[in-house]
This record gives sequence, structure tokens and C-alpha cells, in this order.
Amino acid sequence: MKSLVVGIHLERDDIHVDALHVDALPFGDLWLSGLAIVDGQPLADRDLVLRVARVRGELLDRATFIAVRYGAVAPPLPAIRPEWRDVLIANRGNVEMTLKVAAASPKARPRREDFTSGAAYLRALHDTAAAADDSFRDAAERAFSAIATRWRARDNASLEMAALIPRSRVEEVLAAGESLKRDFPRVPFLLSGPWPLEVFADADQQ
Amino acid sequence: MSDEEELSLLETLDHLLDRGVVISGEAVISIGDVDLLYLGLNIVLANVDAIIRTSNKR
Repeated sequence: MKSLVVGIHLERDDIHVDALHVDALPFGDLWLSGLAIVDGQPLADRDLVLRVARVRGELLDRATFIAVRYGAVAPPLPAIRPEWRDVLIANRGNVEMTLKVAAASPKARPRREDFTSGAAYLRALHDTAAAADDSFRDAAERAFSAIATRWRARDNASLEMAALIPRSRVEEVLAAGESLKRDFPRVPFLLSGPWPLEVFADADQQ
Repeated sequence: MSDEEELSLLETLDHLLDRGVVISGEAVISIGDVDLLYLGLNIVLANVDAIIRTSNKR
């Protein structure tokens, strides 16, 4: 029997989801949460994917954890990165929110066959990264007053801001999102969360 | 499923498939016969399309 890993947690008691049979696996001085799967169980199973999504949400209700990208199976246990414990302690009371913005003017994606080198293709790909209206970006950062924010271009059609905020401010940030909708009615965006530590799980980038 | 529900589900799947730390020594690049990167990209594109569609209805 193996476990499909969901997250990395500070305390054993952080892993408890009623009726969803979530395992707690010792992981050095931390803990992994996981769902029991049988050998050979297809990870693309729709019900399994939706179950993991539900477990993620319920675990976050209990305590902040570091999210593990879907698809990791244990054992074997992965190597522990030393910064994870510090990240979990520092962000015990924090969660992430995501603001996904459709590009102001999406650009056509380059075709690989039009380039003789991979480097030239990557440069062209980078040049097509989506951009958002500067005034919207500034307003979003001001409105959320986050502990930290990170912007990244997802592709040629969208970019997103991850915001690290205290749990106590989730409703306030959602309300700020409603204000942004009124102030920027022509900018299509989606504010979602709270999420576990995903973007801010890497202490080196904070 | 309403547009709002579809958007919420797409966003949840996008986070599940494309966020969080990668802990496997051997990166999982596919689930089933579907390339995970391709699946992630399709979800992103569907997600953006849903954002714009929902926004236009406001």
C-alpha cells in the first residue's frame, strides 16, 4: 500500500480529516499527509483527483501546510529540505491568495518549427509572456496589503499574483477583490483562495 | 454546472496540478496516458477562457 502525498505539515495533529481516511506519515521532524492508494492505481482517476482537492481544502481549514504537487507517491520518502520547517513555523498563521489576470493584449505563441535553436525559441516565448495593465497591478497590490506578493506570467494569455496574507485577512482581501471589480470593470480577473503554501513554500524566494 | 462552479473547479485543478513543491526524485510528467504539462496547460487556457466569459457576464 502506498500514499498519494498531499502536503507537508508541522504537527501530527494538523493531519486530521473526518471520514476521508488521510494518513499521517512521519517525515523527519515534520509530517506528510497522504491518501492510501493501491499499487498501480491510476493517478488520473477523476474521483481520486477530486478527493485530493477536497482533502487539501479540509487540511487547510485545520492548519497551514506546504502543498505538494499532485502525483507524488510515498514510500519512498523524499529528501527533506531544511527550510521547510522554518517556512511552516514562520507562516503558521498565513495562507496564500491568487489573483489570476487575463492579459491586456494576448500575443500569438511562437511555433517551435520557426526557430533553428531552442534558445531563440525560448527567448521568443518569453517575449510573448502576458502583461497586465500597470494601474491594475498597482491597485491590486495596494488593495491586498499582503505580507509578500509574487507576479508570474503563466503563458501568453494570463499572469497571476500570489499574495501571502494572514488567515485573519481572507475576508478583507476577498472584499478588496470586489472593489477591484468595480474599479476595473474591463479587466477580467479571478481572485481565489485561501490556498496552502504553494508559491511561498520556497524560503529563498521570499 | 454554472460558469462560476466551472471556474472554481478549474482553479482548484490548476492549483493541484501546477502548484506546490515537487518532492519526487523522479518527476511525474504524466498521469495515465495524459502528459501532465499538457493537461496543466489546457486547464490554464480553459481557466482563462472561463474568467473572461464570466467577466463579460457581469
